[in-house]
Amino acid sequence: MTATPLPVASGRHALAHLARIARRHPRDCAAALGWTLAAGVCGVLVPLLLGDLVDAVRAHHADLAGLLIRTALTALAGALCTAAAQRATVVLGARIAARLREDVVVRVLALDPRAAEAAGGGEVTSRVTEDMENFTTAVPLLAQVSTATGTIAVSLAAFASLDWRLALAFLTVVPVYVLGLHAHLPRAARQYAQERTAAAERGRVVLESLHGARTVDAYDMAVLQTGRVDAASGHALTAGLRATWLSLWLAKSMNAAEALGLCAILLTGALLVDAAEVSVGAVAAAGLLFHRLFDPLGTLLTSFDQVQRAGAALARVVGVAALPAPAAGPARLPSGPVTVEARGLRFSYGPGRGDVLHGVDLVVPPDTSLAVVGASGAGKTTLAHLLGGVLAPPRGRAVFADRLGRMDVREMSDEDRPAWVGVIAQEPHVFTGTLRDDLTLAAPDADDRAVQAALDAVGARWAAALPDGLDTRIGVGGHPLDAAQGQQLALARIMLADPPVVVLDEATAEAGSAHARVLEDGAHALVRGRTALVVAHRLSQARRCDRIAVLADGRVEELGTHAELLALGGRYAALWSAWTEHGAPVRGHAVASEE
Amino acid sequence: MAGIAGMAGRTGGDRRVRALRHVRARAPRSVLVEVLRRRRRALAVGCLASTVHQVCEALVPLAIGLTVERAVAGGDPGRMAVALGLILLLFAVLATGGGVSYWVLNRAVQQEAHRLRVAAVGRVLAAPGAAAGRTPGELLSVVTSDATATARVPALLTRVLSSVAALAVTAVVLLRIDVVLGLCVVLAVPPLVVAVDAAGPRLEARLRERQQAAGLTAALAAELVRALRVLRGFGGQTEAARRYRTLSHDCLDADVTAARASALVLGATLTATAAVTTAVVALAAVMAYSGRIGVAQFVTVAATAPFVADPVAGAMAALQQWAAARASASRLGPLLHGAPPLPRQAVAPARALAPAPAPDGGLRLRAVGVADAVPFSLDLAQGEALGVVAVDPAVASAFVEVLAGDRPPRTGAVHAGRTSPDPAHPRRLRRHVLAAPHAVHLFGRTVDEMLDSGREHHPARHARALDVAALGAVTAARGAAAAEPADGATDLSGGQRQRLALARAVAADASVLVLHDPLTAVDAVTEDEVADRLFTARRTDGGITVVVTSSPPLLARCDRVLFVGHDNIPVLATHPTLLDVPDYAETVLR
Repeated sequence: MTATPLPVASGRHALAHLARIARRHPRDCAAALGWTLAAGVCGVLVPLLLGDLVDAVRAHHADLAGLLIRTALTALAGALCTAAAQRATVVLGARIAARLREDVVVRVLALDPRAAEAAGGGEVTSRVTEDMENFTTAVPLLAQVSTATGTIAVSLAAFASLDWRLALAFLTVVPVYVLGLHAHLPRAARQYAQERTAAAERGRVVLESLHGARTVDAYDMAVLQTGRVDAASGHALTAGLRATWLSLWLAKSMNAAEALGLCAILLTGALLVDAAEVSVGAVAAAGLLFHRLFDPLGTLLTSFDQVQRAGAALARVVGVAALPAPAAGPARLPSGPVTVEARGLRFSYGPGRGDVLHGVDLVVPPDTSLAVVGASGAGKTTLAHLLGGVLAPPRGRAVFADRLGRMDVREMSDEDRPAWVGVIAQEPHVFTGTLRDDLTLAAPDADDRAVQAALDAVGARWAAALPDGLDTRIGVGGHPLDAAQGQQLALARIMLADPPVVVLDEATAEAGSAHARVLEDGAHALVRGRTALVVAHRLSQARRCDRIAVLADGRVEELGTHAELLALGGRYAALWSAWTEHGAPVRGHAVASEE
Repeated sequence: MAGIAGMAGRTGGDRRVRALRHVRARAPRSVLVEVLRRRRRALAVGCLASTVHQVCEALVPLAIGLTVERAVAGGDPGRMAVALGLILLLFAVLATGGGVSYWVLNRAVQQEAHRLRVAAVGRVLAAPGAAAGRTPGELLSVVTSDATATARVPALLTRVLSSVAALAVTAVVLLRIDVVLGLCVVLAVPPLVVAVDAAGPRLEARLRERQQAAGLTAALAAELVRALRVLRGFGGQTEAARRYRTLSHDCLDADVTAARASALVLGATLTATAAVTTAVVALAAVMAYSGRIGVAQFVTVAATAPFVADPVAGAMAALQQWAAARASASRLGPLLHGAPPLPRQAVAPARALAPAPAPDGGLRLRAVGVADAVPFSLDLAQGEALGVVAVDPAVASAFVEVLAGDRPPRTGAVHAGRTSPDPAHPRRLRRHVLAAPHAVHLFGRTVDEMLDSGREHHPARHARALDVAALGAVTAARGAAAAEPADGATDLSGGQRQRLALARAVAADASVLVLHDPLTAVDAVTEDEVADRLFTARRTDGGITVVVTSSPPLLARCDRVLFVGHDNIPVLATHPTLLDVPDYAETVLR
């Protein structure tokens, strides 16, 4: 297995996390608790008052009217309190859920992308979507559980007030419940964990299919891909049905407990009435009280089950939300031009896999550009991501040096790093929303003029022709943009963020040459006046950089200017001859002759 | 400052919610009716078992009342033993009925959710138009939570029906004691249910908004996770987190509004039932006091009447969830019914797709006009490779779309094999033509799965395709090529992923293969090597290859190159010849 699973919180840890969030909403907590208790008290008083009524009717008691009024008022108050309790608990639950999903998304945003990707993209997504939702749907349950607990607690007191022996009879249900739960919970915990894992895999396959819908269409492989979704969803279905079967047995043990408890109470009552210890009304009240408890007891017991199910989801959510935030180093903004240095950088994708980089040493002087070329898989992207702070090097150092001193990239916090360095990844992502939304993600305070200037600077002239200008909706469901346009947006974002260091990872890879040249010009505009590391397979782009490093098997094999490396007659010269083979004219000849 | 930005984000979210509201409601009822029809057996069995269960539940308070009054008050051990025996029997029947209905209905709901989910995904994949601009994250939420909510209808209907049965039993018990008491329940409960149900549409609207807000929030979360690397590249996490919080707060507001609405409905239901039951009990107390009914009968009434609340609450809860199910069905419906059905051949069973032999007579383009280009004719023989270079990218894209059968040509027709071109059904071309998209999307966890595109599976063909893409060494280094998991291919480099996609296209063994910039993320040496292997392999197989590109290593190996310059006049020649055309040289310039 290559996937490194994301942590899953322990039950205690997950609950503690919930409690921490709940404490931030003391008023909601108090309202939920208060209304719940009030509802419980009313719920218990009604059968007791009915018992009194039975006695009053039997004894031809005089104060029937007063008793009736009290019963009616209690019943009405109970109804209102129950509704208020539900509202208060659902609102509390919603606040907790909102806080939790914000926590988890914020934490995921700070996650090392490699950790997220190693766990599988679908895995992280399922935690912030499906698991979160599973927890949220369990929120109304919170209302029921708290109402049930309140009712049961008050009932026990009521039983004791009728007669302690009746209370004892009531307690006979406890061992049955305990036995039922004892047999059920461990098996169910395993089953629910399996169910969640199967559902996460289902989410991954569904998402992967939906993202690649165009490819599926092109290959006419809808049947195959639907079959894959069917299989993943089928596994989740099987796991779900097994979990349902387990819940069924728990429900049946509850029925048994109800029957036994009722018989015990009635039998005890009969004996007590026979011995003239309690009134028939008291027995009737105890019987009715117990009957009124069927529902709360059932809720409580099945809630163990559902709580466990929600708990499995919660544990997965909290597992991410409670990850320790990456330690932030001393915050400092860059001052003046920045030198980029790599010292003995090594990297491997997981234990047991060979190193991708074997101790790379590089220096990029301030305001100059270094191109990194080499075969695919040579470690170019890894090097770019290490120097850009997207990945953290396990060994070696990536250092930025400005007038004021040296900063290890690893020690920069997520908030500070963008002020130093911007990275453009190989595959562009167009964010769903307006064009302005997409760009201001990098600079929230940028006004329309700045946004427009950035678009112009990277040569995104098409933006002016969009139907609604900066308000045009782009991304999924919006105005379609091609890969090159997406990459221009990526360049424009960094332009707006304006860091002194830029790392371009094959920023022109997605486009054919016609587009690539426009992109190259955009990239060039971005690189100018900054310290830049440019990963390039298009040698025409590499050539425009001040120096070129050839990376092979995780080592820097050659380093120098274009002319020096050609003269060397090594790996770069071979790449260049492959590049210029087949008679293609090479751009920049004229420029070269001018130099 | 932050406040202004925050408000900007909020209105953006609102606009999104409003825009999406228009998507809803392609007859949710029809989806729900379909579900009920499909699950009619489970519905019948579940209804029967659940009714038995509910009736038994309704009889429990009666049993308590009778036991207290006849056995406990009488002090007769024999009667007590009989009473307890009957109670145990009652519970045995109750438990069986409850168990059967629980299992049958839950199984039906889960199976139906699975069915709806697979059907919706299948539909979106077969006809991408069905997704109607919804993000994958939103769709995921529709096919998971909305599918489950929709599938719940058989269980909800059962709950309503069995609650009615339980109410009927209670009413009969009361009627037998005194007509007036029975009538109270029979006459009061139905208008009560109707009145509360009248609040349904309002509640439904609140629930739909809540669900929608939740869907948008989940969609944004999914997008942010997907774009994590990109976001970190420019330090957008803080702003992204702020936007997510804004949306999450909108969602919370919707949650609170919905909670208020459903609490209102619940409060009204409970108050009304409490009023009815206390009225019945009070009436019975007065009757017993005045001697119209016996004390024993009063105990029965006191035990039975409050039970009215349970089935009423059960039915109301089910009706509320029904509203949620309708809201979900209205989002799911367009995926199931939205797009027009595809022409038959477009959804041919992919598994059965054998590698079609190259069409007799190759591929013939007759006076084909795409975009602004002047119409041209062109014949491609088996094994031939054609390069396509256009100054205007729109021409190149349109050409690919025409060959892929996404749309008919502006003028003229494309003939492949014996298929006669049909402007109404351009997709028929797909029997012969595979146009692999430029964007790389790999499916599955193993290399073998990624290469599988539903064609007949030959391990040898996969190995050969990997070899063509110069990936033999890569997969060998990863251990057993086929079984090695490569989740999302994330630890593969961009170039390796692009070559895997090319290998998939080659392995599909299409008689006409159209590639669009297939090697843009690959270094020069590898590009050259792969280009060489690609054309050699295609030629050996006798397949026609069309490459839309401006890469000289690919173009140099094409038999002919179709070039459309600034003048929009197509020129057909070889790459070396075309290099003398300034427009062409400028376009393929590196």
